[in-house]
Amino acid sequence: MFFDPEPFNMGLAAIQWLLTLCICCGIALAVVVVLSLSVSGVSGPANVWRAVIRGVRDIVDMSPKRIGAVASLTLKESLRRQDVLVGVVFVLLFMFAGWFLSSANVDTPAKPYISFVLTAIRWLILPVALLLSCWGLPADIKARSLHTVVTKPARRSEVVLGRMLGYSSLMTVGVAIMGLVGYVWITRQVPESAQHQLISRVPQYGQLTYLDRTGAPSFSGINVGDMWDYRSFVEGNTKAAAIFTFKDLNTNRLSQDDQLQLEYRFEVFRTHKGDIEKAVQAQFTLVNEQSGLRVPYPRVPFEVKEFADMQARSAEDDGRLPIITIPRELTYTPEGELSSKTVDLFEDVIHDGTLTVQVRCVDQGQYLGAARTDLFVRLPDKTFAVGYFKAIWGTWMMAILVIVLGTTASTFVKGPVATLLTFAMVLTGLTLRPFMSGVLEQYQQTGVVQGGGMLESAYRMVTQMNTQVELPGGFLTEAIQWIDDRMLQGLLLLQNVIPDFTHFDMTPYVANGFDVPWNNAMMPSIATTLAFILPALILGYFCLQWRELEAK
Amino acid sequence: MDNESVIQIRNLSKVYRDFWGRKKVQALNSLSLDVKKGEIFGLLGPNGSGKTTTMKLLLGLLFPTEGEITILGRPAHDVEKNERIGYLPEESYLYRFLNADETLDFYGRLFKMSPQVRKERKDALIEQVGLQHARRRQLKEYSKGMTRRIGLAQALINDPDLVMLDEPTSGLDPLGTRDMKDMILKLRDEGKTVVMCSHLLADVQDVCDRIAILYGGELKVMGSVSELLQAQDETQMLTTHLSDEALAEVEAVLAKHQAKMMKVDHPKTTLEDLFLRTIQESQARPGRRFVPGERPGEDGNSAAANSTDTAKVEGAAS
Repeated sequence: MFFDPEPFNMGLAAIQWLLTLCICCGIALAVVVVLSLSVSGVSGPANVWRAVIRGVRDIVDMSPKRIGAVASLTLKESLRRQDVLVGVVFVLLFMFAGWFLSSANVDTPAKPYISFVLTAIRWLILPVALLLSCWGLPADIKARSLHTVVTKPARRSEVVLGRMLGYSSLMTVGVAIMGLVGYVWITRQVPESAQHQLISRVPQYGQLTYLDRTGAPSFSGINVGDMWDYRSFVEGNTKAAAIFTFKDLNTNRLSQDDQLQLEYRFEVFRTHKGDIEKAVQAQFTLVNEQSGLRVPYPRVPFEVKEFADMQARSAEDDGRLPIITIPRELTYTPEGELSSKTVDLFEDVIHDGTLTVQVRCVDQGQYLGAARTDLFVRLPDKTFAVGYFKAIWGTWMMAILVIVLGTTASTFVKGPVATLLTFAMVLTGLTLRPFMSGVLEQYQQTGVVQGGGMLESAYRMVTQMNTQVELPGGFLTEAIQWIDDRMLQGLLLLQNVIPDFTHFDMTPYVANGFDVPWNNAMMPSIATTLAFILPALILGYFCLQWRELEAK
Repeated sequence: MDNESVIQIRNLSKVYRDFWGRKKVQALNSLSLDVKKGEIFGLLGPNGSGKTTTMKLLLGLLFPTEGEITILGRPAHDVEKNERIGYLPEESYLYRFLNADETLDFYGRLFKMSPQVRKERKDALIEQVGLQHARRRQLKEYSKGMTRRIGLAQALINDPDLVMLDEPTSGLDPLGTRDMKDMILKLRDEGKTVVMCSHLLADVQDVCDRIAILYGGELKVMGSVSELLQAQDETQMLTTHLSDEALAEVEAVLAKHQAKMMKVDHPKTTLEDLFLRTIQESQARPGRRFVPGERPGEDGNSAAANSTDTAKVEGAAS
């Protein structure tokens, strides 16, 4: 699994959000002005200006009381239409799921239970949120019930926001109940032998650099021929090393336990069979970069299995976790000296909250593969409930975003189209968005995309030209590249308009026994949902305001 | 603006267009009219004449193609104006899953009324429209007449200055129709302005002070009901029963004044009047059955039924 959580940059995200919002508003305004000119002539732009001012006033002057009235109406409507019957499906799922999940052959017995519960909740909540939000307003307009509301002093922005709030309240209750039931179900269903896996480990990741075989700093290690360059390898019995630097360690907190735990998941690549019954060995060296102190720990090298998951399993089978516990008092023998020394981990080795760990492969001709997340400082564990309910929070955020998008879509198209539109956004955000981000990141960094943009790709496919061959020079190539360039720039904007739904899936963290990190997972999910509320409200308001409810 | 005008419409036109912007229907063409404060104004016309379109334009449910609308001193799209307006749509498009209490409470909340005021208004209106017995039933269980009543109640929840009623008596039985007409008249007595559109001419004639007749989206006639319906070149007298001799003498007198007796017959009551009196009589004396020729409400004395004559006279007014 690719896993490399980067801290979420809230400031950058806010700037990007503001920029996208301004660009989108600008484009929308330009389109509306052009349309108004064609419909109303020279008075068109003035009409648009007045409507925009009125819109801003309507949004600013919204009344919480009226919003509350519409929200409670929405809630009543959903309850009385028995939309909550989805809960029955949930109960049925849980009644029989145990039959299919109780396999004893799985490596991590708790994982399928946790994954099942969180996935089931997500996929039950998603269609309900989608259908409720996409069909509510169109049904109101079709039945003309909305006429009796908008002919009262209710602003259309209040109607949109009230609807969003109503459905959100319902989903909140639904997610909370399902979450609680799911939690009880997991804690009761997971076998006794696997109960210890119900924890929330709290990792602190560092930065990874390398030393090459001569001991010179290097940005990466060796590629052993994998297409997947997630891990980079260091050569055994040379000066090559993977260097993990952990910063901002809270030594006060750690020193309360009088120890430091490092958890690892390395991989090994053998260039020769060697002693096949003996695992490849690795060695940690704790380094204080400031004082130059180097403390090998553990004193004897430890074994590393071929594959990271095998390593974890094997370690657990042996009753050992892939954890190295470093005590506060460290005794070691410095290189070239005969007598041993004792140093204090928090005072002598960790300097100013920074710890450097060098990892070397001991066996000659073998390679040790490391990724940034393969070694982390394991902070004191949290209870399983903490990680689990954070994942439930992610599902809730997703439901809210679906409701916001669905309600907005339903202000300008009918129920079925709104459902399709919103579902397409969810699907794109879940599946295509990571791919799109990868392509656009490449485009932003290098100015080109491997294989070209959409037209160039199509041209290459039709002419059976592989991506390494240069396109023939000439007007056609220039035109294709110019259009591709514009389309990629448009995609850059579109990328920010399609929400990244992958942020909401926190199942892997919890299922693998990790806490859901605030900075890497919680913040992006909250920011994604919040980012869409205001633009969706503005769009929804103007679409409903400029829509003739009685148009024939 | 004229201080007395509650609604001012100037050169109002509405064109319905298709998806491509091509003209589909010209629903209204250069309509101009004023509605004065405290009057009951009726919009009449056959189906497709533009009366409902006019009402929806006034309420901001449609946007005018051309022209200006001012309601209570504000433009039609201004949501603030709705604070003083009550609207009863053609069909009572209310939330069917709510009961009468909840319906009125919801609309009251849209006016930001306090819970206490909402409760008082709810109780008063439910009693006024006669739905005390069904206030806890969901609207989906209501008959059409009951739905119209709760529709009217929601239109009056804010004690509006201007009440707009689209086909207010549609679907009501004669008793309900009479109640509705009484309520409309009561609203006028309370100083409110009422605009109603209907194609039930008798109802409009009964309650409206002024009417406008639309046809093909254009205003054809506008004025007070009494003036518009009055035949200036004819005189009508209502007397007690006249014998043939007396009639002959009257005819002679008329001839002396160059007038001619056009028609002599006995006045007829309306079917509505007959129906209402039958119901009232039945409620007062259950089990009693009327014999043919007997008129209810007159104590079973059928002789009294034919005690008046009408005479229509054409000629020079003296």
